[in-house]
Amino acid sequence: MATNVLICDDSSFARKQMARAIPKEWEVDIHFAGDGVEGVQAIREGKGEVVFLDLTMPNLDGYGVLETIRKEDLPAMVIVVSGDIQPDAQDRVKKLGAMAFIKKPIDAEKAREVLTEYGILTGA
Amino acid sequence: MTDSNIEFGDIHWLMDILQNIDVGLVVLDRQYNIQLWNGFMESHSGLSPQKAKGENLFDLFSEIPKDWFMKKAEPVYQLKTRTFTIWEQRPYLFRFKNYRPITGRASVMYQNTSIIPLESINRSVDHICVIIYDVTDIAVSREDVMSANQTLSEFNRTDQLTELTSRGYWLKELDREFLRCQRSVLPSTLVMFDLDDFRSINGHHGHQAGDQVLRSVSEGLRQTLRQTDQICRYGGEVFAALLVDTDEDEAVIFAERVRKMIERMEIKYGQQSIRATASLGIARYQKSFTTAQDWLQAADKALYHAKESGRNKTTVFQPKAH
Amino acid sequence: MTVTSTEVSLNEDQRDCYQELTNVAMGQAADRLARLLDVYVVLPIPKVNLIESSDLHMAIQDAETDSAMSAVCQGFIGSGIAGEALLLFNDTSFSDLAALMNYGGELDRYGELELLMDVSSLLIGACIQGIGEQLEIHFNQGHPVVLGQHCKVDDILKSGNHQWTKTLAIEIHYTIEHVNIDCDLLLLFTEDSVGKLNNKINYLLD
Repeated sequence: MATNVLICDDSSFARKQMARAIPKEWEVDIHFAGDGVEGVQAIREGKGEVVFLDLTMPNLDGYGVLETIRKEDLPAMVIVVSGDIQPDAQDRVKKLGAMAFIKKPIDAEKAREVLTEYGILTGA
Repeated sequence: MTDSNIEFGDIHWLMDILQNIDVGLVVLDRQYNIQLWNGFMESHSGLSPQKAKGENLFDLFSEIPKDWFMKKAEPVYQLKTRTFTIWEQRPYLFRFKNYRPITGRASVMYQNTSIIPLESINRSVDHICVIIYDVTDIAVSREDVMSANQTLSEFNRTDQLTELTSRGYWLKELDREFLRCQRSVLPSTLVMFDLDDFRSINGHHGHQAGDQVLRSVSEGLRQTLRQTDQICRYGGEVFAALLVDTDEDEAVIFAERVRKMIERMEIKYGQQSIRATASLGIARYQKSFTTAQDWLQAADKALYHAKESGRNKTTVFQPKAH
Repeated sequence: MTVTSTEVSLNEDQRDCYQELTNVAMGQAADRLARLLDVYVVLPIPKVNLIESSDLHMAIQDAETDSAMSAVCQGFIGSGIAGEALLLFNDTSFSDLAALMNYGGELDRYGELELLMDVSSLLIGACIQGIGEQLEIHFNQGHPVVLGQHCKVDDILKSGNHQWTKTLAIEIHYTIEHVNIDCDLLLLFTEDSVGKLNNKINYLLD
């Protein structure tokens, strides 16, 4: 069965870049969200088994999304994909329950590496 | 084979260019030991590449402050970023002579520097390159412009004949003081005065003699002034003084001192001896003034009154009773 | 396909793309600053606008235009794309900055200049390189020039030759958590560079 993957980023360019970086052999249904509020909504609807989450977004930022997921105990594996690569930012998202952190700009190689490392992508 | 010959030729040319290019190139290792020292550096320092190579930069050049330079250089190693220093920060990194020792006006070479990371094959930065640019001409002309601007602004502030404050500058000061008075309880007073019958001094003794009178009176005024008093040649033979924190009575004392000083003065011009007198009008700041112009007019009115009532006199402006 | 015309323009996709490229580049710059000062730099969403050069001061409306500023600019050029980076520093930021940078000397004009140069080397260099890497352009940087110390924004921006009428302006307003430091980094691209930049961007957008 295909995995529901949510790409949550306010930039349409970044969403496209992310979608392109998802390994071809991984069977997925890709969903998009343009800010944190839309993102949380999609996760509640079960569209975000795996979430690629940006941090800097209007309305609700990535930290807010992580907090909501934790508070509502939503079933989502979150991989933060961010341009904010300060050590502090990485620490904060890990503490908030993010599984992994990928530096922007994303590419296929980095995505595959992380997905394999955490056992999401198997048999590749 | 031909290819590698060309490559060898290329490197040979490159070395030639490095040697002859008119900027300084220094390569340093992690311990700040010199690894490359090009012709520019050799010529200006008198130190050959053989002597310089392997030596520590700070040992050879005590003029380079170690802490300061490391603050600029460490980020280049650690963050692979370029950094820059400009002559405004420190005129030079290396104390070299001006390239034009005869016609140049600076004794040292002003320098801008770029510090760039040099990546090794494994992508780490173990060496940096310091590029030294001679910016003496730019620095000298910038400093010239700045000192010229300084002179120009002083020039505009001064009346050329008398070297008192110029009218334009004084009027700005008056505006400022007027605004301050509107908010303040401290009194300020304006004194306007002119030399009596100056036209006949010019007529009898000539305009140059008249100029000398103006100069001498101005010199006398300068000696009578307190530091906070602002005085200008308002135009022709008319002077104006702004006395800050001064009430009417004090202004009268000031005005009388000026009047007597001028009266006593014996101005020499060539063989001639010229005497002059002045009439003075005083106006204290009044709340009823709406502009600085009103204030000036009040002082002018008092001056007119002094003239009308016989000259060589001081008159105080009397605001109309309500 | 976009139609090439003499009139420079910016559509929504392109604006979004510039914003994202800047986002990544300024993140790299902030990371360096964060490591140097041991602080957390608050990252804003960068503003991208095509503006008339006469409206340059509007690009930095976030900066308090009344307060005294110090500014450094640095030109960059690569692959026919030219521009300038301007770093405007609020003068009230210097004392906190000096403390963070362990600056021991007196905080006079020279002291401030030192701090200004250190921060601008870092922020400008990282930002330009970050954008260049993503677009595969190698930018050469000129020497930094002090535009003014203790000036008003308007006075700083007035002193240009303004040959071009339009400029692509990217504004990043950096602030640092818990301390009183804020600065504006403006990346300005000349009018004739915008077309070439857009071509590069369109390639990424395809």
